[in-house]
Amino acid sequence: MLKTDNTLAIAGRTAPASARESVKSLKARFARENWIMGILLFVCLAAAPILPGVKGWMATEASLVIIYIIAAQGVSILTGYTGLVSVGHGGFLAAGAYTSALFTEHYGIDMSVGLVLGAIFAGAIGQIMGLVFLRLSGAFMAIGTLGFAFFVGTIVNNVPLFEGRDGISLDHNHFFGFEIGDFGFYYVSLGVLALVTVFIYMLLNSGVGRAFKALRDSEKAAEASGVHRVRYRILAFTVSAAITGLAGVLNAHIVNYISAEVYGDIWYSVDILVAAIIGGSAMLMGPFVGGLFVVMVPFYLETLADFSFVLKGVVLILVLIFAPSGVAELIGRPLRNYRQKLLRAVQASQGPTAAESDIGGRRNV
Amino acid sequence: MLGQQILSGLATGSLYALTAIAVVTVFRNTRTINLAQGDFAMIGAFIAMILLKRFGLNYYATIALVVGCCMLLGVVVERVVMRPIAKADWLILMAATLGVYYILHGLAGWLWGRGTKAFPVPFDPTPVHIMGAVISKGHLANIGWALAIGCAIYYFLKHTRHGIAMRAVTDDPDTAELLGIPVKRIVMLTWAMAGLLAGFVGVLIAPIIYVSPQMMDQVLVKGYVAAVFGGLYSIPGAVIGALMIGVAENLAGGYLGSHYKTATAFAMIVALLALRPQGLIGIQKRREI
Repeated sequence: MLKTDNTLAIAGRTAPASARESVKSLKARFARENWIMGILLFVCLAAAPILPGVKGWMATEASLVIIYIIAAQGVSILTGYTGLVSVGHGGFLAAGAYTSALFTEHYGIDMSVGLVLGAIFAGAIGQIMGLVFLRLSGAFMAIGTLGFAFFVGTIVNNVPLFEGRDGISLDHNHFFGFEIGDFGFYYVSLGVLALVTVFIYMLLNSGVGRAFKALRDSEKAAEASGVHRVRYRILAFTVSAAITGLAGVLNAHIVNYISAEVYGDIWYSVDILVAAIIGGSAMLMGPFVGGLFVVMVPFYLETLADFSFVLKGVVLILVLIFAPSGVAELIGRPLRNYRQKLLRAVQASQGPTAAESDIGGRRNV
Repeated sequence: MLGQQILSGLATGSLYALTAIAVVTVFRNTRTINLAQGDFAMIGAFIAMILLKRFGLNYYATIALVVGCCMLLGVVVERVVMRPIAKADWLILMAATLGVYYILHGLAGWLWGRGTKAFPVPFDPTPVHIMGAVISKGHLANIGWALAIGCAIYYFLKHTRHGIAMRAVTDDPDTAELLGIPVKRIVMLTWAMAGLLAGFVGVLIAPIIYVSPQMMDQVLVKGYVAAVFGGLYSIPGAVIGALMIGVAENLAGGYLGSHYKTATAFAMIVALLALRPQGLIGIQKRREI
């Protein structure tokens, strides 16, 4: 007699339906909790400016953190979830920044339009790079993207359109026609961050996200199971570049000035990658921790000047030695252990089930 | 004119080649994309500058001392940073060398300042005529040094116990271990060799590009581009790639304008990687990193 129950047939025994039901409901609860925690986080961030003693520069600094978080989220799509390591995301950052800055300078567009255009342009360049680097993987990909970052740097330094080291100065920022100050900018970047985070969460829990992860874990196996490798690789590149491009637009408008002095270097590329790796590139909360680290360490150690680089390097190495999957993983560990325990308790009380305890997966923080 | 461009391209290319050899050696023995390779050379250049300027040391004694220091630096990095995570994913290894890069960069900026400094030994511009082409003595000396070092490394890898052990580790670390080769010590030796090459590069390139914490960034990337020509695995491929890059960027500098000098190398790598991802002279082996 054929068994039709495919999931549990593997274990060779059938679990009571009630156990499966309760495990399912528990997982649904965890997903709900993820949502609630996420919303709470953003409500707290949105309410932060009400606190007494908050000044304009703090909002700017916080916006800078958010910019790095968004950029690192872009990297994490490619590096963390699809397994293609990019050392060249500064190029996409520059693409977004220059697109918006040039359109604002010549056509006086609104910042909201700039965000859309920047994302589209950066995404288009990402798509082209995805095509160019189609056959690369591993270390070769890292070096190729590094070459791309340098290439962009040379172009913005030398092509007259980008005004080289003199840079482009912009007027005050307008969002939907309203002039926005420090706090306005903070809310705009927070809004973009929220949208991007929700987008990534939905993407990862969709078929596309699963295809990305399948490609990361084994390209051959994924292809054999029907994942269109070329299509999803290019898609990952495009989405990743577009998100980093959004960060670039914000980065151009935060100081209303961009020049090849900053974007002609590879420092942005390196910093963004470090933010993604330190936080944990395969976790939704990873870029949050990483962005905070990359911006706040130099900020607090400003008086130490170059010595802050040394500390940054030391911390990076320590993190890699003691928490190779990222600080966010370390912070989220108690929560995950608690959930694992809960799940196991339910399973034990309800009788044996098949191995369904994949709740400690990399995305659930 | 053309011959001259090619010749001075070869001179720069020979220094890229030394960097590329170090990059390939470290990568194929330890799976590490060593982003700190350039900064070993940068530290070497600073030490050389201090020895020459402040202590008035002899040039050759300086080279010997600097190379020793850089080898020590390589060994220390291996022991302290790389060994604890030797078994980790290659991305972690690369990020760790990025940490070393930050540390060395910060140290140099902190101790010696961010500005660009002239190197006390002037680059010898005396022209020499070779087969109709004119090349400066300094460039010629660099070619000579690079050739000598290249031959020494060839001899080391082909004919000495440690060199052969090193190649065994490259081929298959597990089998090498079973055959009684002390793999850990060989890995350390690999990093020492990277330091040695960096020391020479630092001293030889300093008179041309001057000394500053960020002096080696571009050179390192070109070293990597060259290494990719050899599929990150083959030393002859890397050397040929480095010489090609040196010549190509010199020709671009001569005929298109100096702005496009740096862009050439990157255009080359993008084209190469798009057309032949396994490298020009690449070996299909070991691509599953």
